[in-house]
Amino acid sequence: MTTPTRPSLDDPSLTIPVEHAGIFEPIPLARTERQREFYDLRDGEMLLNMGPQHPSTHGVLRVVLKISGEQVVDLDPVLGYLHRGVEKIAENSDFHHIISQLDPLEYVASLFCEWSPVMSFEKLLDVQVPRRAEYIRVLTGELNRIASHMLFMGWYALDLGGITPILWSFAERDEIVEILAAITGAKLLFNYFRIGGVNGDLNHEFMSRLGDWMSRAGAQLEAGMGLLNENEIFVRRARGLGVLDRETALRMCATGPNLRASGVPFDIRRAHPYSVYPELEFEIPTRREGDSLARYLLRMDEVRQSLRIIDQCLHQMPDGPVMARLPRLLRPRPGRAYSAVEGPRGQYSCYAISDGTDQPFRLRIHDPSFLHLQLVGLLMPGNLIADTMAIMASLDPVMGGVDK
Amino acid sequence: MDRAFRALIERTFGDDLTGPVRQRHDETEMRIRPGDVPQVMRTLHDDPRLRFEYLGDLAGVDTGTDFQVVYHLWSVVTPDWLRVVADGIPRDQPRIPSITFLWKGAEWMEREAYDMFGLVFEGNRDLRRIYLPDEFVSFPLRKDFHLPDDASRSPGGGVRPMEDAATPADAAETTVRRTARAR
Amino acid sequence: MALTERSARNPDLPVPATTADDALVEAIVVPNVLWRPEDPAAYGGGALEDDPRLEMRHYDESGEGRRDDARWGGLDIVPTKADYVLDLIRMNSLWPLLSGLACCAIEMMSTATSRHDIDRWGMFPFRASPRQADVLIVAGTLTTKMAEPLVRLWAEMPEPKWCVAMGDCTCSGGRYKRSYSTVQGIDRVLPVDVYVPGCPPRPEGLIYGMMKLQQLVKERRGHWPERAIGPTVPDQV
Repeated sequence: MTTPTRPSLDDPSLTIPVEHAGIFEPIPLARTERQREFYDLRDGEMLLNMGPQHPSTHGVLRVVLKISGEQVVDLDPVLGYLHRGVEKIAENSDFHHIISQLDPLEYVASLFCEWSPVMSFEKLLDVQVPRRAEYIRVLTGELNRIASHMLFMGWYALDLGGITPILWSFAERDEIVEILAAITGAKLLFNYFRIGGVNGDLNHEFMSRLGDWMSRAGAQLEAGMGLLNENEIFVRRARGLGVLDRETALRMCATGPNLRASGVPFDIRRAHPYSVYPELEFEIPTRREGDSLARYLLRMDEVRQSLRIIDQCLHQMPDGPVMARLPRLLRPRPGRAYSAVEGPRGQYSCYAISDGTDQPFRLRIHDPSFLHLQLVGLLMPGNLIADTMAIMASLDPVMGGVDK
Repeated sequence: MDRAFRALIERTFGDDLTGPVRQRHDETEMRIRPGDVPQVMRTLHDDPRLRFEYLGDLAGVDTGTDFQVVYHLWSVVTPDWLRVVADGIPRDQPRIPSITFLWKGAEWMEREAYDMFGLVFEGNRDLRRIYLPDEFVSFPLRKDFHLPDDASRSPGGGVRPMEDAATPADAAETTVRRTARAR
Repeated sequence: MALTERSARNPDLPVPATTADDALVEAIVVPNVLWRPEDPAAYGGGALEDDPRLEMRHYDESGEGRRDDARWGGLDIVPTKADYVLDLIRMNSLWPLLSGLACCAIEMMSTATSRHDIDRWGMFPFRASPRQADVLIVAGTLTTKMAEPLVRLWAEMPEPKWCVAMGDCTCSGGRYKRSYSTVQGIDRVLPVDVYVPGCPPRPEGLIYGMMKLQQLVKERRGHWPERAIGPTVPDQV
């Protein structure tokens, strides 16, 4: 039996012609000023592609690095490998359907992805959300924030080479997310918030799991953070890396922990309060150094503040309905509404335009990670390739939200 | 809803406003011409009574007949969000000045508006597609780009005008069927 | 009611006849005669094999890509004891490739970490390089921009290799069925062995899928020689 010949990848007749090479073009056609500037290679510089599949790009992000030896001189992030056309789908969906469609944007913190559009729709419809529902929203939102920050810690350590913290943080996150699954029904894409409230009251399983976890949460989280807080390798690698100063952070429209680590105490929960945050007592951690270590420590501070908020929510939870009475066919008056929430990564906002039908005319989602990836191009030059991923991880991007 | 703030905006910008300053819930909205965007933004950013140093969002909107670019800004001076709508960008010449000179972070948001609508931001140093592959020729979020919808080819048909397969045949003349009542 | 409205407007559309409750219902596939896009290759009209960016065209032209002969050493009729032992070895150390694209990647990571530990089945090392991986677990939505790199990864993986479609988006397009930039199911571009539905599938679901894959490997099912690689869905769907 003759073995049939299989095409070999070295066969010259199979060479992909350059104009179809796509991402494998050595130097693509420079269409803009910035591209011309980037692809102008000086002596000793080379282009290195950290492709869409990479262990530490937090999803499908392609970064073209211009390196001179081991040092990164410039970089060009290429997005869009996860662009799913959610805004267009949203224009063709009902107001109710959209909420579940918008979950996978920032999939790690999907309750915040639902919160902001739901607030916009409530403004369009002039719906008053019951107080119990607001408290439940804050409670579940803060739980989701802790889970997200735990994942941040794990990924940051993983990008720097530590394997233990990610196992610990995933164990933490799985536990928190099982608590949320008891009330929402899902582990990752919760689909829990509804226009006018939430999809179901607290139940026994949720309360027992939450109580159980809260009794040991403080110590457990501190133990997890303790792996890294005083770890010499981690601190020496992260300190002074990727310093973002106040003025640059504002000009680059950074939000959330990245902005607060640069000295701007801007937190939407306090600057432009929504829901029941005015009634809750918590601080806004702010740091002035602006380096990666500050961003990490700030998020850990936020975890502690979130625990405080959850505690207050449990004590102050009022009775009442969890959902406003709304018709199933929602036709808001023509108008526009914008609302922003403070997600774990920054300002997550939604601009909704209604034209009187039961589908929104335009739904625009603003995601914080999108702007933070611009920071990467500013902070990385001058550092070594290994620090590249450290800086990107400290900015905590989630590609689902970046690419929509 | 900050009434004093509305008066301040009307005093400061007077002639540049193309419509009344509207307020609803916690938002204040002002409309300007696309050509006035750089100076209005600079005034909002630099004026010590306004101090809008925080750009929240930059969005493109296709109203069906023409385009809009909508900016959302925040300041310590007022508890409202300020929405600046640059209205009336013509469909055949969708050009608007860029605000990257003030907020460098707007560069990618303008790239996204270009990618989705075809809005050309003059002054943006890096105006190329950001989400879609470079070979993509159309601009998806325009109202005359119809989704490749299974529903439009099934007997279910889709009762909504956007899904109606018959629409694109006359899409050349009148671009959209959704009304621009949201203006 | 929508049916009659539409049929009233377009009389040459077929209306499906009513069938008995337990009869097998054929897919209603209506050819698109009402409208043609300007570009005949748009909306999947152009054949996938003509796309110069997918290397699968080379396999399809010679017909050899559709024959799975390298997998079991060419002797695909009578498995020997050595083959059995090799299958046992392979099934107990399936090393996945880190190809988490979107939300399902988080659940894949959750499967890999302490709580639902797939190191119990030998799948802990998630290799970063396709040259060292056995299984491509596609976790997350595949967009048209990412299709080319993913197929390239698949092509770079050495035989024997298997593919697991994790999540609704990879099985069929899922919630993004109506999107302009996603691939409606990865079986349009890759040969899939195991489909794990869910949005996202629970880690237990992925573990079940991986155990099914192990069963496939052991029983030498799945990659039979004539199985096609490439789009296996009907054209009009």
